[in-house]
Amino acid sequence: MADKDKLLNPDPGVCVPWEVKLEEIGEFPGNEAIVKKEWEKLDDFAYNFIWFWAQR
Amino acid sequence: MSEKQMLYQKRLERYMTAMDCGKPDMVPVAFGVGEWIAKYTGTTLQEIYYDLDKSNSIVSEMLPGLDFDIFKGGPSLWWPPMFDAMGSKLYKFPGIGVEENSTFQFNEQEYMKPEDYDEFIASPTEWLVNHYLPNISTELENPGSYRSTVALIKGAAAFAMQGGIMAQAYGKWTMDHGIVGQGTGFTKAPFDTLGDALRGMKGVLLDLRRRPEKVLAACEAITPHNVNCGLAGAGADTRFPCFAPLHRGAYPFLNPNQWNNFYWPSLKATIEGLWARGKRMLFYAEGDWTPYLEKIAELPDKSIIFQIDTTDPKKAKAILGGRFCLQGGVPTTLLTYGTPAKVKEHIKRTIDELACDGGFILDAGGVVMGDAKQENVIAMIEAAREYGAY
Repeated sequence: MADKDKLLNPDPGVCVPWEVKLEEIGEFPGNEAIVKKEWEKLDDFAYNFIWFWAQR
Repeated sequence: MSEKQMLYQKRLERYMTAMDCGKPDMVPVAFGVGEWIAKYTGTTLQEIYYDLDKSNSIVSEMLPGLDFDIFKGGPSLWWPPMFDAMGSKLYKFPGIGVEENSTFQFNEQEYMKPEDYDEFIASPTEWLVNHYLPNISTELENPGSYRSTVALIKGAAAFAMQGGIMAQAYGKWTMDHGIVGQGTGFTKAPFDTLGDALRGMKGVLLDLRRRPEKVLAACEAITPHNVNCGLAGAGADTRFPCFAPLHRGAYPFLNPNQWNNFYWPSLKATIEGLWARGKRMLFYAEGDWTPYLEKIAELPDKSIIFQIDTTDPKKAKAILGGRFCLQGGVPTTLLTYGTPAKVKEHIKRTIDELACDGGFILDAGGVVMGDAKQENVIAMIEAAREYGAY
């Protein structure tokens, strides 16, 4: 199984945890907090889109 | 502060006071523009559902003549183009699937199979992406294909577009007319999440007999997600309740034993989880919940607004009143089959019985249907103002 196919079992509000992405990025020369904040905002949007279809 | 800003503040105060079981200057009135508006505006339901600008402009034209406090939304519950982009099987919408002036129909199926329980419970969000979305969407039948990828792009874009358009419309209505939106966030009872869209009514009722432990485990797995959905994001406005339409919990879908064991525990946990984060639920108790009022009274004080549809209003007042705000009290059938005089008479009686010591919001009991008469809906608002001063 490729790494990206591993079961993540993300928490509520999360699709791909930042920690998983960070590990894939490896070296982080810039300000991690800026990237993390925006990653999590979009991740939350995706989460709401996914659950929208189940909450009908 | 402008006149409309002052009006907004006055209505907001009225709403907040009632939600906290207090007695404002007058009984707050909740109002939504339902599908019934179509026949008075020369538009088809298809136009109202598909064309958000048209739908919102109809609301904008109506609002100046109406004096109410809490706005529950416009005439279309869904925006079909997003469903079309995904090839969604969930609904038949006016003009596509059903006639252009028919209301939408939910196409209930077992989109989740009995053998899917374990994988769903292990990781609900991943199961939804990997299996549920392809099951409910013809465009996603071949994940990874050109059609599937394009459909996901279009679906997510539509989700964002609709959110942006509606946020802008609400902002305008607030600024121009001083109205207060009813809530933020949308959630459900975990049993309803499972029983509505995933397993369907037949599926979940069979599961209660054949695999009850899976139903309980699935409801437990759904609960934290439903808390999150109700919060509507980490920065959500907790002044306003989240909307939770409640379905299979109405009497007599389930017997009392099933209700106690399968429906209530995870719904209670969802409400408690929300309340721990300061978020209240608009407990939209569609149908009759009278037999369950004593159990509902176990909830933390003020953690819900209890919607009275066909629940016995006097019993709801006696058991829940003072600890939870009550909302509703006007049968939707009265708005369809009654007359303005009968509506006014009912409003007077309802206010006398339910609003006497505060903690009450006057509203239609449930979703006002397309065959409601505009004159009755207007009479409801006018009578509420006539009889609603404390």
